[in-house]
Amino acid sequence: MGEVWKVTITDSLNRFLGKVLEFLPNLLAMITILVVGFLIAWIFKKLLFRFLKAIQFDRVSRQWGLAEVLSKGGMTYSPANLLSRFFYWVIVFVTLILGINALEVAATQNLIAQFFNYLPHLFAAVIILVIGYLIAVFLGQATLIAAVNAQMESAKLLSRLVRWFLIAFSLTMALYQLGIAEKVITAAFSVIFGGIVLALAIAFGWGGRELAKDFLERLYKKNGKGDEKENHISHI
Amino acid sequence: MEKSFQIQLEEIKVADILIGIPSYNNARTIGHVVRAVIAGLAKYFPKARAVMVNSDGGSTDGTQDEVRRVQIEDFKTILTSHPVNPIQRIVTPYHGIPGKGSAFRTIFEAAKILKTKACAVVDSDLRSITPEWMELLLRPIYEEGFDYVAPLYARHKFDGTITNSIVYPLTRTLYGKRIRQPIGGDFGFSGKLAEFYLTRDVWETDVARFGIDIWMTTLAVAEGFRACQSYLGAKIHDAKDPGSDLGPMFTQVVSSVYHLMEEYQRLWKEVKESQPVPGFGFHYEVGLEPISVNLERMIGNFRLGVRDLKEIWEKVLLPETGNQLESIGRLSDEGFSFPRDLWVRVVYDFAIAYHEGSIHREHLLKSMIPLYLGRVASFVKENQKSSAEEVEKEIESLCQAFEEKKPYLIEHWA
Repeated sequence: MGEVWKVTITDSLNRFLGKVLEFLPNLLAMITILVVGFLIAWIFKKLLFRFLKAIQFDRVSRQWGLAEVLSKGGMTYSPANLLSRFFYWVIVFVTLILGINALEVAATQNLIAQFFNYLPHLFAAVIILVIGYLIAVFLGQATLIAAVNAQMESAKLLSRLVRWFLIAFSLTMALYQLGIAEKVITAAFSVIFGGIVLALAIAFGWGGRELAKDFLERLYKKNGKGDEKENHISHI
Repeated sequence: MEKSFQIQLEEIKVADILIGIPSYNNARTIGHVVRAVIAGLAKYFPKARAVMVNSDGGSTDGTQDEVRRVQIEDFKTILTSHPVNPIQRIVTPYHGIPGKGSAFRTIFEAAKILKTKACAVVDSDLRSITPEWMELLLRPIYEEGFDYVAPLYARHKFDGTITNSIVYPLTRTLYGKRIRQPIGGDFGFSGKLAEFYLTRDVWETDVARFGIDIWMTTLAVAEGFRACQSYLGAKIHDAKDPGSDLGPMFTQVVSSVYHLMEEYQRLWKEVKESQPVPGFGFHYEVGLEPISVNLERMIGNFRLGVRDLKEIWEKVLLPETGNQLESIGRLSDEGFSFPRDLWVRVVYDFAIAYHEGSIHREHLLKSMIPLYLGRVASFVKENQKSSAEEVEKEIESLCQAFEEKKPYLIEHWA
C-alpha cells in the first residue's frame, strides 16, 4: 500500500516536473520577448520623438489644427510626444501578445490569431479617422475664410456643414473598415447624405430664398450689369 | 527657355539695353506701350544696341501679333532722327507657373545671355507710358552706375492701397530705404542684378506671380545694390475689375514680404532708421481720374470677419487687439475708424504668426483680408476731403508708426 502510494506521488511529481520543464523554455521565451520588446519600444519612442522634432511635427500640427484639438481635449503632451508615446504602447501591446503566444497555451492561440488578422483593419480605421478629421478641420477653415471674403452671411454655417460632412464621411469609412454593420452603415450614410442634400435644396429654394436672391444679385452685379457702386481702387 | 528664343538671342549676341514687356491678353494696350518704348529708345539711346522682349503668357487676343506689327512711321513726330541701331524685337512665350514673375524670369535670362548693361521692364496694360519713361528707368543705370531704379508715380490718393498700407511702410521700416513704390511694376535694373536674380531658386513660389515686384526691390536693397527712384508721372492702367483678383494679389504680395522677412531677419533687426534714396525725374502735378470706392462693402466685409474669423485671429493677435477689433466692428458706418497704431500691430502680429507657422500660411493671409479692407475703408473715410499732399503726409505718419513700433516686432519675433 505504502509502495503504491509512493509510486503514485513520485509519478505525479515527475509528470509535474516534466510539464514544468516543458513549459520553462516557453516562459523564458516570453520573458525574453517582453524584455526585448520593451527595449525596442523605448528606443523607438526616443528615435521617433527626435525625428518628429526634426521635421517640426508640432509646428505642422498647429497649422493643421491638431494641436488645438488635443489641447481642447485636455491633453498636455505635445503632438510629437503623444505620437511617440502612442507607438510605444502599440509596440508594448504587440510584445505582450507575442509573449503570451510564446507560452503556447491552446486557449489563447486562436484569439491571438484573430487579433492579428484584425489588426490591419484597426490601424486603417484609426488612420482614416485621424486624416479625415484633419482634412475636415482644414477644409472647414478654408471654407469659412473663403466665404467671409466672398461676403456670405452664412459663412460659419457653411464651414460647419463642410466640416461635419467630412467627419461623418471619415467615420463611416472607418466603421466600414472595421466591418461593423457594413450594410447598416452604408445605408445610414446614404440616407443622411441624401437627407442633407434634400434639406439644402429645400432650404435654398424655400427657406433661403433671400440668400439665393442675394447671391444671384451679387453675381449679376459682379458681372457689371447691376447698379451697385463698384470699388475701382487699384490695390497695388 | 524656348529653343527659337535662345537661337534668336544667340544670333543677336550682345545688347546694351534690354526692355522686357510681360503680357497676357493685352492687345488693347500693348501697341501703345511698344510705341512708347521704341520712341524712347530712339530718342534717348539712339546709339545703343537695344532689344525688346515680349514675354507672353499665351495670349489669345492677338497680343503677340500686335507687338510684331506696331511701328513708328515718322520719327520726326518725336523730334528725333532715325536710330543708328534698329531695335531688335522678340516675342516669346514663357515657361513655368503662369504669372508675371515667370515672365520676368525669361527677361532676366535674355539679359544674361545678351550681357546687357541696362534693362527695364514695363507693364503691358499701361495707358500713361511715354517715351520719357525709358530715359528715367534706364539712364540711372546706363550712365550713373545704379543697379536698381524703382518707379515713383503720381497716383490717385486712394490708389495702391496694399502699397500704401502694408508694403511701403513695412519695407521702409525693415530695410531702411524709402522706396515709395516698391511694387510699382515698372523697374530699371542692371544686367549684373538680373544675373543675380537668376541665382535664386524662387520660381515655384509666389515670386513667380504677383510677388516678383517686392522680391526684386527687397533683394536689390538687402543685397547692397545701388538703388534709386525715378519720377514717371501718372500711372494709368487699362480698366479691369480690381475686386476680382484682390485675394490672390493680396496673399501673394504679403506672403512674399513676410517670407523675405524670414530670409533677411538678421539684416532688418539691425536697421534702426530709414533713409531717402536718390531720386531722378522732374516732379509735376497730374490731373487724375476720380475713382469710386464702395465703403459700405469694405466695412461690411470687415464686420463679417470680426464675427466669423475671431477664432483664427485669436491665435494671431493679442487679446487687447482682438477686443479693440470687436469694438470697431460695433461702430456705425458713419463713426467707423480703424486706428493707425492698431493696424501697425495687426501687420506685425500677422508677420510673427507667419514666421511661427502657428496657422496654415494661406489661411493666415486670407484671413487678414477683412482687416485690410477695414483699414482701407477707414483711411478712405478719413481722407475723403484731403488733398493728395495731405494724404501723402498721412502715409508718412503711418510709416513713422511702423518705425516706432519696430522694437515690438523684434521683441516678439522668435
